[in-house]
Amino acid sequence: MKNRCLLLALSALAAGVLPMPAAEMEPDGKWQVHDRNRPQPAVVAPGATFSQGAPAPADAEVLFDGTGLAKWENERGDAATWITNADYVESVASGSTLGGGIRTKGKWADFQLHVEWASPNPPKGQDQGRGNSGILINNMYEIQVLDSYESKTYADGQAAAIYGQKPPLVNACKPPGEWQTYDVAFESPRWNDKGELIKKACITVLHNGLVVQNHYELVGMTDGINRAQPWQTASKYGPPHSPEVFIQLQDHKNPVRFRNIWIRSLHSGSND
Amino acid sequence: MYKISIVAPLIAMLAVAANLALAQNPTNVEVTIDGVTGFQDTALQPDGKWHVHDPARPQPPIVTPGNFSQMAAPPSDATVLFGGKAEDLSLWTDRQGNPAPWTVEDGVMVSAKSDIQTKEQFGDLQLHLEFREPTPPKGDGQSRGNSGVFLMGQYEIQVLDCFKNPTYADGATGGIYGQHPALVNACLPPGEWQTYDIIFNVPHFGPSGELQSPGYATVIHNGVVAQNHQAIRGATNWKSPGKYTPHGPTGPLALQFHNNAVAFRNIWVRAVPVVNDP
Repeated sequence: MKNRCLLLALSALAAGVLPMPAAEMEPDGKWQVHDRNRPQPAVVAPGATFSQGAPAPADAEVLFDGTGLAKWENERGDAATWITNADYVESVASGSTLGGGIRTKGKWADFQLHVEWASPNPPKGQDQGRGNSGILINNMYEIQVLDSYESKTYADGQAAAIYGQKPPLVNACKPPGEWQTYDVAFESPRWNDKGELIKKACITVLHNGLVVQNHYELVGMTDGINRAQPWQTASKYGPPHSPEVFIQLQDHKNPVRFRNIWIRSLHSGSND
Repeated sequence: MYKISIVAPLIAMLAVAANLALAQNPTNVEVTIDGVTGFQDTALQPDGKWHVHDPARPQPPIVTPGNFSQMAAPPSDATVLFGGKAEDLSLWTDRQGNPAPWTVEDGVMVSAKSDIQTKEQFGDLQLHLEFREPTPPKGDGQSRGNSGVFLMGQYEIQVLDCFKNPTYADGATGGIYGQHPALVNACLPPGEWQTYDIIFNVPHFGPSGELQSPGYATVIHNGVVAQNHQAIRGATNWKSPGKYTPHGPTGPLALQFHNNAVAFRNIWVRAVPVVNDP
C-alpha cells in the first residue's frame, strides 16, 4: 500500500497535477477523456483588446447589453434570475432563487456568437473549481469557460476547450478579472430523415483574438452536461435534434461574469 | 489641336484595352444585369451553378458592421508584417524580389506600382490586417479600390470598395476571388478602416501532385463572418475557375496593386498550424 501511495504521489508529481480515475478513450484512441497527460496548449499572451466591446452588426440579435435578461430564461423555462447590472450578468442566482444555468429563448441553426467573460478576481479554487462556467450550445455542446490563467487543469477541460474532446490550440487566457472575448462560428449537426447523422457539428472559436478551435468537428455531445452523457465517457451524438439550437450559460457554482453577448445567423447569404 | 490631343491618347488606350481583352479571351463579352456588370460566357464553376463572375449570382446581403478588431495589438506569438514604420517595408518585396515599391506615410502603407509579397514564407496561418479604401471613391465595379490578399501568393481574398458599389458576387469584398462570394457585404464606407481576420489552412498534395485536401479560408470582415472554413477551388483567376497546381507547404503572403491606391495598416500574422491535432 505504501509503495502504491508512493507511486501515485510520484506520478502526480510527474504529471504536475493530481491523478484521476480511469476514463474512457476519446474516439481517436489517443487520449482518455480528461487525460492529464495530454499535452498542455502553449501559453500565448493575447493582445489587449481585439473585439472587446465590439458593437453588434446590424443583423445580430443582442442577447445581453446590460439592460436585463429579457432574452433569457432559466432551465425550467421561468424568468432568468442571475445577478445583473448595467455592466455584466453573473452566473449566480440572485436572492434565494434556485440556481442553474440560463438559456436563450431564441434559437439559431448556424450562428456567429460574440461573448465576453471575466473570471472571479481574486481567484478562488483551483483546476476545474476556478472560475468554471461554459457556453452550452443546446445544452449539449460545451465551450469551456474557466480561469486557465496560470492555473492548470486537464487540457480538454481548460478555457476554450470543447469540453472533454478538444483542447484549445493555445492557452490565450487573460488574468482573472479582465474581460476576455469569445468569437464563435457554429454549424449545427444534421441528420437525415432516417435518423442517420450526415453532418457533424463544427465550431470555430477565437479566444481573445487567437484561433483556438478551427472548424473542429465535434465527435458528439460533450460530457457532464445535465448527465446527458456521464462525466468521463467518450462523446457520442444523441438522438437527432433540430438544427435550431439555443445558447445556455452554465452555473458551475463560480461567479463568472458575462457581458456584450450578441448572435447572428451565419448563413444570411450563401456562398455555394 | 484640342481634338487631336484628346483623341490620340484615347485611341491608344482603346487599342491597349482591346489587346488586353484579346490576350485574355476574345469571346468574353461583358453583360450588365440589374446594375451588376460581369460575364455569362465564362466557364461554369465546378458545381455547375454559376459562370465565373456571373452578374446574376446573388449579391451578398448587406450587413452594417460595428468596430471589431480595429488596431488589435498582436498576440505574443505573432509576427508583425506592418506596424506603421517605413522600415517595415523591408519585410516585403515585389513579386520579383526587388524592393517593395509601396509608400509609407503617417504609419500607413499604400499600394503602388506592383504587388508586394513577404520575404517570409507561411503555411497555415492566422492573419490580421486593416485596409482603407480611397475617398472620395473613384471608378465603378472592379475599378473602385481594388486590391487583394493573396494567401501563399495565389489564393486571393478580394479587397474592393463594395460600399454602394455593385459588382459580380464572386469578385466582391471578402470573396474568394472568382469562386466563393462572401456570406455578407460588411463593407464600411470608403475612408474608414476595415478589418480582415483570416484563418487559412494550406492545401495538401500527394506524391504525384494529386490534391489531397484543398485550402480552407475563414474570413471575418469587420467582425462579420464572410467565409466560414470555405474550401478553396485552386489558384484564383480572372475569368476562369480556380485550379490547383501542386506546390510546397509554404508560400509568401502577397498584397495586390490593382491600379488603385488602397491603404493598409496593422498587419500581423501567426504562423501556426491551425488544425486541432493532436
